[in-house]
Amino acid sequence: MSVAIEVKDVVKKFRRGRRLKKRDIFAVDKATFDIEEGELFGLLGPNGAGKTTLVRCLATLLIQDEGTIKIMGKDIYSNSLYCRRQIGLVTSGERTLYWKLSGRDNLKFFAALYGLDGKERDMRIEYLMELLDLKDVQNERIEKYSSGMKQKISLARALLHDPKVLLLDEPTLGLDPQFSRFLRNFIKNSLNKEQKKTILLTTHYMDEADELCERIAFINRGKIVDVKTPYEYKRDLPHTEVLELRCSGIQNCDELLKQLQSLNSVEKTTANSVDHVTNIKIILPRAEPILSDTIELVRKQGKILGINVEQPTLEDVFIYVTGTRLSEDTAEERPATKD
Amino acid sequence: MKQFIKQMKHYARAVWAENIKEWKVELTYKPDFIRGLIDPLVYALPYLLYGIALVGGRNSKTLQGLVGSGDIITFVTLGYVFIGFLNMALWAMGFSLRKEQYWGTLESVFAAPVPRWVFAMGMAAHSTLHQGLMISVQLLVINLIFKLTINPAGILPSLLVVAVMLIALYGLGMMIASVTLVLKQGQLVSEALSGIMMIITPIAYPLAVLPLFLRKAAMFIPTTYGIMTVRHFLMGENMGFSVATSFFRLALLGIAWVTFGIIIFEIIDQRTRRTGTISHY
Repeated sequence: MSVAIEVKDVVKKFRRGRRLKKRDIFAVDKATFDIEEGELFGLLGPNGAGKTTLVRCLATLLIQDEGTIKIMGKDIYSNSLYCRRQIGLVTSGERTLYWKLSGRDNLKFFAALYGLDGKERDMRIEYLMELLDLKDVQNERIEKYSSGMKQKISLARALLHDPKVLLLDEPTLGLDPQFSRFLRNFIKNSLNKEQKKTILLTTHYMDEADELCERIAFINRGKIVDVKTPYEYKRDLPHTEVLELRCSGIQNCDELLKQLQSLNSVEKTTANSVDHVTNIKIILPRAEPILSDTIELVRKQGKILGINVEQPTLEDVFIYVTGTRLSEDTAEERPATKD
Repeated sequence: MKQFIKQMKHYARAVWAENIKEWKVELTYKPDFIRGLIDPLVYALPYLLYGIALVGGRNSKTLQGLVGSGDIITFVTLGYVFIGFLNMALWAMGFSLRKEQYWGTLESVFAAPVPRWVFAMGMAAHSTLHQGLMISVQLLVINLIFKLTINPAGILPSLLVVAVMLIALYGLGMMIASVTLVLKQGQLVSEALSGIMMIITPIAYPLAVLPLFLRKAAMFIPTTYGIMTVRHFLMGENMGFSVATSFFRLALLGIAWVTFGIIIFEIIDQRTRRTGTISHY
């Protein structure tokens, strides 16, 4: 099988800060991976990890500072138009369509940009409207669409020219569960299995990546941490259990994490707080031996609302590998590791 | 060759689609669209009435002495038409990319497999047609009220002059359009340029009344040649240079401004793709 997307040592940095205090922020740092033709490949990482920057580089909307990117064997910088013809791009933002135009008019406009005209254009739009169940609303203005319907139109736009490669940047972000389920099924079954499209899917929903992707690259702070199948990630995790505690009234979370970290055989601990409720995760070979000590330590600071012992998920693997959670409230993360 | 023709057809369709899309969006804001048709008329009328009040009629001997025709109504109206063309370049074209950026659609458009200058041409096509409509309404109503005295034989050559002048203004429009992507407050640039051009372009007064240094500066502005040559064809204005010279200089300015516009457009496109500011607003 040949390579559809080739990313090699890609660096993208931005200058941030004021005047003399300007410094380089590495949004993508030496990223390297290949995606084979027909593969559904996931890029999984928390907000700000560099997923969108990488997708924008692939879509020729950004120029990388170092490294090379090839789409269907051609360098995107020197063959920009060719590469754009091979790509369909879907982003998570709602405002990527003309809200004052109907869904059909939006597609007609973009069809012209993608070189479609006349009968070919009309048949393609008809087909996509049918496929995505948008026929009843095709003449309504986009501003009247729900978020899910807007995302369907964005997907139809990306498919107008029947591209070989699809870049889906957080396609289910902000959608209700029903639309998310529809989109996930559509991506997996229709686009990948039936139409054999090469898909790069970025997400920070671990269950989405776990369910859809054949291989997943973990990305954290701009670096590709690892690339494996979801099965390999879980198989290679040397720990079998995750102890989860929901607590309230925790005053000094850092101190508590330090104490938990010092318990026998604990590998990783993380915590995040939402509305005065702290969720603590402890990754370790077996939870039972440290259960009573853990309860005692937590009780010294606050109240335990719930305890759970589970098998590791992809998120737990991510925490183990990067020391960071995938959840959105990264500002409140307090990772602690033994090393 | 076949591939080249196919590609050009694709680009032409993209330019036309951009124009149609803009009309559709504009027509959803109907009051704004109607205001756009009335505005040029409202702005021109005070100048005309002021002129009549000062001269005590529509014919001025001083103007006659300066340009060879004393009809201030036709003189000012024809000059004022060119404000529409300036607005096209400085505002309509100039802010089209910024508008897309504000709507959030610029990245989607730039991700399509057409060179970005094709999109700029689409903006130019729409702006020209839009301003053409506004100018037609302006001329029609002023003609109904004041009855303009023009030489009908000069209409076709005048349109040719305007066509050549538009090439240069497209260059200016591309320049402003790209500058607004970097300077988010790009209206300051447009306002400054608009002010300077309004002063040194002989819109409401003959070039002869300007100080020498401004007259020299006016020779680098395409609308100067546009206004004077159109007035020459339609009302016999003495330009001080031949029609051939005017066309030659307009063509030169067109090449220079478009080249400069494309270079700036490309540089800024590269810059925004390096700094990641395409989608910022």
